[in-house]
Amino acid sequence: MFWQQVINGLTAGTTYALVALGYTLVFGVLEIINLAHAEIFMIGAFIGLVLVTETGAPLWLALIGAMIGTGLVGWMLERLALRPLRKNNVSHLAPLISTIGVSIFLTNVVLKIFGPQSNRFPSNIDPRIFDLGVIKVSLLQIVILATSFALMFLMKFMLAKTRIGKELRAVAENPEAAGLMGVNVTFIMVLTVAIASALGGAAGVLVGLQFSAISPTMGVAYGLKGLAIIIVGGMGNVTGAMAGGLLLGAAEVLSIAYIGSSYRDAIAFIMLIAVLLIKPSGIFGELESRKG
Amino acid sequence: MGEILNPYYLQIVSFLAINAILALSFYLPFSAGQLSLGNAGFMSIGAYTAGILSLKLGAPIFISIVSGSVMAALVGILLGFPVLRLKGVYLAIATLGFGEVVRVLFLNLEITNGALGLPGIPNLNNYFRGVYSSFGVKEGLAGLDMGQVAALSTVALSFLVLGFCIMFVLRQEKSPVGRAMAAIKADEVATEVMGINTTYVKMLAFVQGAFLAGLGGALSAHMTNFISPGEFGYHHAIDILLFVVLGGSEVVWGGVLGASIITIMPEALRFVDDFRWIIFGALLVTMMVFRPQGLIDEHVLSWRPFKKKSTLESDAVNEVLHREVGN
Repeated sequence: MFWQQVINGLTAGTTYALVALGYTLVFGVLEIINLAHAEIFMIGAFIGLVLVTETGAPLWLALIGAMIGTGLVGWMLERLALRPLRKNNVSHLAPLISTIGVSIFLTNVVLKIFGPQSNRFPSNIDPRIFDLGVIKVSLLQIVILATSFALMFLMKFMLAKTRIGKELRAVAENPEAAGLMGVNVTFIMVLTVAIASALGGAAGVLVGLQFSAISPTMGVAYGLKGLAIIIVGGMGNVTGAMAGGLLLGAAEVLSIAYIGSSYRDAIAFIMLIAVLLIKPSGIFGELESRKG
Repeated sequence: MGEILNPYYLQIVSFLAINAILALSFYLPFSAGQLSLGNAGFMSIGAYTAGILSLKLGAPIFISIVSGSVMAALVGILLGFPVLRLKGVYLAIATLGFGEVVRVLFLNLEITNGALGLPGIPNLNNYFRGVYSSFGVKEGLAGLDMGQVAALSTVALSFLVLGFCIMFVLRQEKSPVGRAMAAIKADEVATEVMGINTTYVKMLAFVQGAFLAGLGGALSAHMTNFISPGEFGYHHAIDILLFVVLGGSEVVWGGVLGASIITIMPEALRFVDDFRWIIFGALLVTMMVFRPQGLIDEHVLSWRPFKKKSTLESDAVNEVLHREVGN
């Protein structure tokens, strides 16, 4: 029973981790909380839905399509709502508000097209269940777990080993110094927002598969949890976001199993406040002063 | 005249005042450099405390409203101790999380009636109706029917409260405490070095904000008859932030203006109907690009059409600073 819950929790947790990864990447590189990320996640789910239902694309293609689509949305977000603000050296509040503007815009565009009701997300995955003795795993869970872990591994690999990843880390550490070393800072920033958005879009499709229903307002709950996770894991810390997401998924499912489902949505923030009291820099955060 | 004064419009006008009070509740901690998004949470604490007192204990309406505000302030003190150690976006996310915890709590408690919400909270309009009829006014006053007179009284009350709050904030800004808040916003470390107890001042600003949010919630509970946890969620927290940012986050009047615009906008933009929120989102981004400080700032307020030279305090300070740096 316990291990079964852990597997279920991890399945939910990997999607939280993907969402949180998007927040943490953008925060790490641009020092901006991208409040439109939750809506980009939602748009990913809808692109997936359209691809599957209208064009009859197979699932893997829908996933890639959603990632490309949300990557483009992220690129436009950076180009139209963030870059113009960087030029005239404004307060840290301005980009936050600007992304809220984008999130209002995106939610209402999707509401206009699809209406407020929730849409059924078709899943053509074989509803087979593997019995592994202690636990039972459905094929759907395996698909979700494998896709998320593959994306997270790719992300980690890219950051650690590739040239782009090194440049990205350099910009995160100090944009000016990185610029002087010949890194194209503007390009890295656009790329970061695009990659973060693509990860969010992938999470959207996976969540659609998991619950087989999506709606234009589905982003908010995931967005809030993602925000809690990045503080729990340590701001701007990629490993922290992944671990935090998995931890939250497991904590939620276990709390449903042993306490009851009513307080599920509060778990993330109870975790958040506990972490802030014990280790304000987050589980994986380094000791540093918390600058805004 | 009777056309314009219909109860629906009058209720929107009362809500304008409530929203302006909520804008002040964001502005106060922000003027001390604290970005708090917990106001929707405090608002729901105020609304539920007042609603439950009036509904279940039959407390007089004004006692409920004051108790709601005090309750929000008390919770503000408790929350302030852990979260005010955080800065900037960390504080924003933690306080946003507080609002979410309050929402989930009220969704599950017995006394708040869970997701069904609290219906039948005594209404301010009805209260005023009762007061007038005890003075023998039952048929209407000066050509207006009783509904309009009662609704106008509610409007008057809410603006009276708002006026009092604005006056308080304006007076406080000229006081040593207000100066200390502005100093913390400019540079917390320097303020501490000057011998100011920054923890105390930040806490004061935060609790004042919580009190005002509670007040706004308690008043609104007695205007709508009905409250449910969903009203005070993430979206409301963001709305309150938008009031201040749209109007101008550097001056008191900014939040008041922003609250007025956002309250009236959905009504005024009815002709574009479904597109109004899409347009609003785009406008917000555009504004951050061209005027990030909000519609009004100190320069707008000190604008005198017939004077040549600006007498702005901050300009003088800047001038001195530049000279210092120059030498």
